[in-house]
This record gives sequence, structure tokens and C-alpha cells, in this order.
Amino acid sequence: MTRKIIFLAIAFLLLASPIFAQTPGGGTNLADLGRPFAYIAMGIASGLCGIGQGKAVASAAEAMARNPGAQGGIRFALILGLVLIESLALYTLVITYVAK
Amino acid sequence: MEPEAEFWLTRLFNDFLGGPLTSFLAAIGRPPADPAHPWQNWIVIEILVVAIIMVLFAFLRSRLSVDQPGKLQITFEAVYNFVSGQAHDAVDYGSAKYVSFVGTLFIFILFMNLIGVIPGFESPTMTPAVPLGLAVSVFFYYHWAGLRTQGVGRYLAHFAGPMPWLAPLMVPIEFISHLARPLSLTIRLFANMFAGERVTVTFLSLTFIAIPAVFMGLHVFVAFLQAFIFMLLCLIYVGGAVAHEH
Repeated sequence: MTRKIIFLAIAFLLLASPIFAQTPGGGTNLADLGRPFAYIAMGIASGLCGIGQGKAVASAAEAMARNPGAQGGIRFALILGLVLIESLALYTLVITYVAK
Repeated sequence: MEPEAEFWLTRLFNDFLGGPLTSFLAAIGRPPADPAHPWQNWIVIEILVVAIIMVLFAFLRSRLSVDQPGKLQITFEAVYNFVSGQAHDAVDYGSAKYVSFVGTLFIFILFMNLIGVIPGFESPTMTPAVPLGLAVSVFFYYHWAGLRTQGVGRYLAHFAGPMPWLAPLMVPIEFISHLARPLSLTIRLFANMFAGERVTVTFLSLTFIAIPAVFMGLHVFVAFLQAFIFMLLCLIYVGGAVAHEH
């Protein structure tokens, strides 16, 4: 079964072979070659940021349910944590714009 | 920048005050890229925000009353209590000294973030220069606060960490982490405001029905949150700098 999957994967990749017939366009910049990597990097950063923020919100909600009296402090810690995690994804966004 | 993209106030500034600014910048060794238009949108709107805040607070000052506080006074008393409470939580001792700087920072950043929501205006915090200036001022402020309360010797000694033999490891780490603070403050504020505007504009280019307004609402929420976080981080850094280990 594994060999079938590997064969299918290679076949699908080779299906894109017409791309080799492309005439070289108006000169690709060396910097432009990095753009797809920047997009992938942004996707990875946003995904991991989502996971981190999800964990933060989950534990904050559970803590608020366990200890309703401490809601103010927990909410404060939650907002602070979310903003700091968000800023990590934003660093990647800035690099996406810088790497033109 | 293209002349058509200039804010109307920037054009006024360039027409009347362009010459003095160009000669001033040339005198300090940084001539502007376009000598006919040295004023840029961000500095002009920053000056506008300063003028708005000063007028607002002058108006508030004239209406202060102990017996019958008006709505404006109640609002700003709430803001002051909020900032003062955060300072009290973050700084162990003597937090009242820092409320003025941090409160000004909060209101300034909040107004600068929100003025971009008005159609035709652009947030000064959308250019990297403005958050960088704010972050550098925070950097110098918290080091000055630490030096003032603890004295030069003790303040520099606390970079060495809890034990003296850890110093060769702790000093480079502390040095880099202290340098990373203004960098992260800058990028956080700049990227949030820039991304908020970009996302709104991107969705506006796709459709003008309802969806861009949702993102603009998110941008307003993020504007409040980022101003609060900037203020809070400044307080945390001050708290770390003036902490006494008794």
C-alpha cells in the first residue's frame, strides 16, 4: 500500500512537467525567488501562533471555570499572553514584507 | 511619495514650512529625499494628534470640578484610575512617579492608532519610524528610572544575575534581551497597525459590502489593545528595573 502511495505521489508531481516548457519570462530577480518561501513561512508562523493561542485560551477558560473569583486576573493574563504570542506571528509578517 | 497621495495638511506644511525643514535637515546632515516635499504624512499627523490632545486636555482642565464632575472628567478619571492601577500592579514601590509618562504614552498611542480609522487620515504608527521613536523613549525611560532609584552601581550590578559567578553568562544574555525589548515593542505596534490597514484594504478591493467593516472593527479593537500592551510592557520594564530584592 505504501509503495502505491509513493508511486501515485511521484506520478502527480510529474504531471506538472509542462512547466519545464515555459519560456524564461522577463528575468526573475534573485530576491523574487524567495517569495514562495516567505509565504510558506507566514503560513507556518500563523499556524503555530494559532496553536499557541488556542492552548492559552483553553487553559484560561478552564481556570476561569474552576475559580470564578479570579476571573479578573485570569482575563488579564490571557490578554497579555495572547498579545505576546500574536507578536511572534507578526515578526514573520514583517519579514514577509521586507523580503521583497 | 507621489504628490497625489499627500494628505492635505502635509501639502499645507510643505507649501509653507518646506523650506525651513529642508534647510534644518540639511544642516544636521540628513537631507530629505525630495527637497520640495520634506514633510511626510506621519510627522504631520503626529503633530496634529499632539495638537488635538493638548486642546482636549486644556478643555478638560477648564471644566474640572470636585462637586459636579462632567462626563469628560469622569471618563478621564476612569482612564487615570486604570493606568494608575496597572502601575500599582506592575511596580512594587513608588508607582505614582511613573503614571504620568506611561499615561501620556497610552493616550498618545491610542489617539494615533485611532486617527487612522477616520477616512482620509493615516495612522502615524503605520510607519516604522513612529513606534521606533516611542520604543526608544521607553528604553531610555526605564533605564533612567532604574538608575535613579537604585544608583548607578547597584543597577549595573543587577545585570550580573543572582550570583557573581554567573555573570559571564548572564551579562550577554541580559544585554541582548534588553536590546530586544525596543525591537519587539516597535515591531509589535508597527506590524499590528500596518497589517490592520492592509487587511481592510485587501478586503475592500474584493468587496465593499460589510466585510471590510468587520476588519475595520477588528482594527479598532487591536488599536486599543496595542496601546494598552505598549503601556503595560513599559510598566513591566520599569518594574523590573526598580525592583529591590530585599
